[in-house]
Amino acid sequence: MKAKKLARLALLTAVALIIFIIELQIPNIIPIPGVKLGLANIVTVYAVYKYSARETAAVVVTRVVLGSIFGGNIAAIMYSMAGAVMCLAGMLLIKRIVSMNFIWLSSILGAILHNTGQMIVAVLVMRSFAVLSVYPFLLAAGCIAGAFTGLCAQFLIKRGSLEKTD
Amino acid sequence: MTKSDKLLIAAIALIFSASVIAIILGMKKSDSTCVEVVQNNRIIYRFDLSQEENMTFRVEFPDGGWNDIKIENGKISIIDADCPDKTCVKTGVLRSESIPIVCLPHKLVIRFSDKENE
Repeated sequence: MKAKKLARLALLTAVALIIFIIELQIPNIIPIPGVKLGLANIVTVYAVYKYSARETAAVVVTRVVLGSIFGGNIAAIMYSMAGAVMCLAGMLLIKRIVSMNFIWLSSILGAILHNTGQMIVAVLVMRSFAVLSVYPFLLAAGCIAGAFTGLCAQFLIKRGSLEKTD
Repeated sequence: MTKSDKLLIAAIALIFSASVIAIILGMKKSDSTCVEVVQNNRIIYRFDLSQEENMTFRVEFPDGGWNDIKIENGKISIIDADCPDKTCVKTGVLRSESIPIVCLPHKLVIRFSDKENE
């Protein structure tokens, strides 16, 4: 990996982490565990379309691990990791068939898969299907949040504003 | 717009509307007054809220950590916890069958139960 690319990926990870930590400070208006805007996902979507699968995975995994440590909620890392991995896998697969004007769709799919991953872990951890009753809330909120972060990422990718720093 | 874009839009629209319908269907207020406090998939308390006195009690967890549960005027809520996100506290009082009070870090669920199970 070239030093320049390494620096780029590190910068991207740092940006994602900062967004993640700032978002933690925003009070959550919907009191359901797992419902959030997921602003750090903007960086993930951007990376999916601008870098290779391996590089994107490195950025996402590093962000989730460091985010859990900095955010002070290490117990939640299983949920975040399962969600992030499912989300990333889905977006990488769908990347081939979605055209550039519909990147936000792939972000929504990512959000849906993220919530599904969280839910699977929650069911496994709690050994109970009771938590499934919040799943529709997660999905509906995920669609809206995913569309928002996806649009942000799409504008960013089409402008290529980060590329001008070359 | 390619065919796969349209397919994806349709799939997402389907998931979104299905979850909205599920939310609306689940919104009905519970007519049951029995609640159960479940920890680690084991029922540790069971109350009939219509008969319970007002009280506050603490649930401790084997791995450390606690939740303070309050019953007041036939309503149950978690008023404090030592977890970082306090989602369970923000949930407020238990209203609907479809939204239990959940504390993921402590594997605690408070939900309505059927009278038949008593």
